Amino acid sequence: MASTAAGRLGPGAWRLWALVPLLLLVGVVSLFASSGASLVDLVGRAPPPLDEFDIRRIEFKPGEIRVRVTNPQRPKLTIATVMVDDAIVPFRLDGPATLGRLRSSTIVVPYQWVEDDPYTVGVTSSSGIETTFDVPAAVETRGPSPRGFLGYALIGFLVGIVPVALGLGWLPSLRRADARWVAAFMAMTAGLLSFLALDALTEALGLQAGLPSGFQGPGLILLGVSASYLGLTFVAQRFSAAGRGERSAPLEGAALATLVAIGIGLHNLGEGLAIGSSIALGELALGTFLIVGFMIHNITEGLGIAAPIARGERIGLTRLAALALIAGAPAIAGAWIGGFVTSDLLGVFFFALAVGAAMQVVVEVVRYVARRAPGGLHSGHVIGGYLAGIVVMYATGLLVA
Amino acid sequence: MDAPTHAAMIGHEAPAPGGPNELDALLHPPKALPHKPGRVREYSLTASDRQIEVAKGVFYSAWTYNGTVPGPVIRATEDDLLRVTLTNGGSHPHTIHFHGIHPANMDGVFEIVAPGETFTYEFPARPYGMQLYHCHSTPLKKHIAKGLYGAFIIDPPKPRPPAQELVMVLNGFDTDGDGENNFYAVNGPAFYYAKYPIRVRRSQTVRIYLANLTEFDLVNSFHLHGDFFRYYPTGSSDTFEYTDTVMLCQGQRGIIEIDFTNTGRFMFHAHQSEFTELGWMGFFEVVD
Repeated sequence: MASTAAGRLGPGAWRLWALVPLLLLVGVVSLFASSGASLVDLVGRAPPPLDEFDIRRIEFKPGEIRVRVTNPQRPKLTIATVMVDDAIVPFRLDGPATLGRLRSSTIVVPYQWVEDDPYTVGVTSSSGIETTFDVPAAVETRGPSPRGFLGYALIGFLVGIVPVALGLGWLPSLRRADARWVAAFMAMTAGLLSFLALDALTEALGLQAGLPSGFQGPGLILLGVSASYLGLTFVAQRFSAAGRGERSAPLEGAALATLVAIGIGLHNLGEGLAIGSSIALGELALGTFLIVGFMIHNITEGLGIAAPIARGERIGLTRLAALALIAGAPAIAGAWIGGFVTSDLLGVFFFALAVGAAMQVVVEVVRYVARRAPGGLHSGHVIGGYLAGIVVMYATGLLVA
Repeated sequence: MDAPTHAAMIGHEAPAPGGPNELDALLHPPKALPHKPGRVREYSLTASDRQIEVAKGVFYSAWTYNGTVPGPVIRATEDDLLRVTLTNGGSHPHTIHFHGIHPANMDGVFEIVAPGETFTYEFPARPYGMQLYHCHSTPLKKHIAKGLYGAFIIDPPKPRPPAQELVMVLNGFDTDGDGENNFYAVNGPAFYYAKYPIRVRRSQTVRIYLANLTEFDLVNSFHLHGDFFRYYPTGSSDTFEYTDTVMLCQGQRGIIEIDFTNTGRFMFHAHQSEFTELGWMGFFEVVD
């Protein structure tokens, strides 16, 4: 029966046939929608909407407080009154007063705020529900300016490029090291990248927890992780194929180092973003200590890039500089984005990208170690190296926690 | 660029709902009648559930007497026979509990009026002074917070001297149900008398019948700028205090008499700064 139908319709018509379930779905949905909520009433009554705003960003400008609010729920939400420290204040709106789902407005409150004082900002909906947001200390938010641009770039440079470049300085020593020790350092690279993957995953999960559920944080994380993991797998295959023509061979040398650099670079993008937005929102006491902490924490990343190129052909200074840039420069971009845009949504996605990238690079490094290292994965050097990578990241992480 | 800060908000800068003169029925009490023992004074109150705008753009599901929070001003002269009929058009059982002297079966505690039912409270009005009324159904806190209360004036046998008479019921609204008031006001909407200052003449005494029906907060207060006033606690005797600030717990009330020394714009508000900035603030426009 089917075969005769197929014979009659031909392959083109069968493609059209694929639309039938969709059309039927549209029909059923519109039938249900036209029956209204009466069907739902059979089993209960929907509770009233929460009517809480999502307050994401509060900026302090001279004589002014700017509050960015989003409607996280399906029903519309109207901004009625605004409170600063439990006092109703006059305000104007950049954007609509009534917000549709996931739409935002900026509330501008003329206000003589006190530097470094804590503030509570409340926004009350037309249904009387007040959403409050606590600011631990009011610090002037700087807009995009050449000065700020330079400042964030400098911070990204210090925590990203400098430590990676310094870490690459271990290369000459690595070149003279015994093969077992190089394997140990490769395993250490895998260890520190595992640490970075988990670290980025924790950051992503933490950030997404604060997002309105409509943004589907977990789904976004899965998308980011998959995209970067599969993307890097694709890149790795291309490197591998270009290098030796055999597709399943593990990467090594400069190609592997580049992959490690990309993985670390994506992590530093997220790290820069986190640092930038924390500074912008006055949440981070940006001391010299913290910058130094990040530098020490990240110097091991340079070592991770150096390990794969310890054997084989020598790499020129330009290549090395390029590797340092790939791994470190994203911290600058991250700091800019975090400092001037501050989007938790972007933060979740960037950290998710970092997770996938780090995981993929761990897989590549492990494949390399398994094939090329003396004693393979089971040697004491490799096991010790992997654990040492985690210990080093943990210990230096104490400086920035 | 210097926008006014909230403390100086007046007129259209004040974020208050409503139009001019909307609260006149609550602000200006009915006329006092001469002493005539046994005269019947009839009032009829209907309890109803209603959405009211308590602050600019903020709507609250209130329980009201006759559609407003506070409810209507009830006034009688001492020894009048008060007959107050409560019709419950709301969705919960309600009562009216009057402050004053009355029989036990007219106290509005045991005579629960179920939705759709009616009950008539009947008792002689006494003693003279500023009284008040409110619902006494349980949960009590909920029935008061939702708005079931109002001013109840009993005039003395010997009439008080003529004055510009005003009623002020201090109240609050917990719009998000967390057991704390989000807005404070006098006679209903936040900042109403900041938007529409009360016009009074300097030549005649201003008499304010003041009552506090704020739920959740332990005390409320009344403070006048630029002048002093005589405060008669409960208004049931001639003793007064000469002051510019009085403090009242829930259910406390009294009569204020102001003889303005100067013309101009004078603020009045709660001397709890928080209440002031959450709506309990207004102005007198004193003219010659």
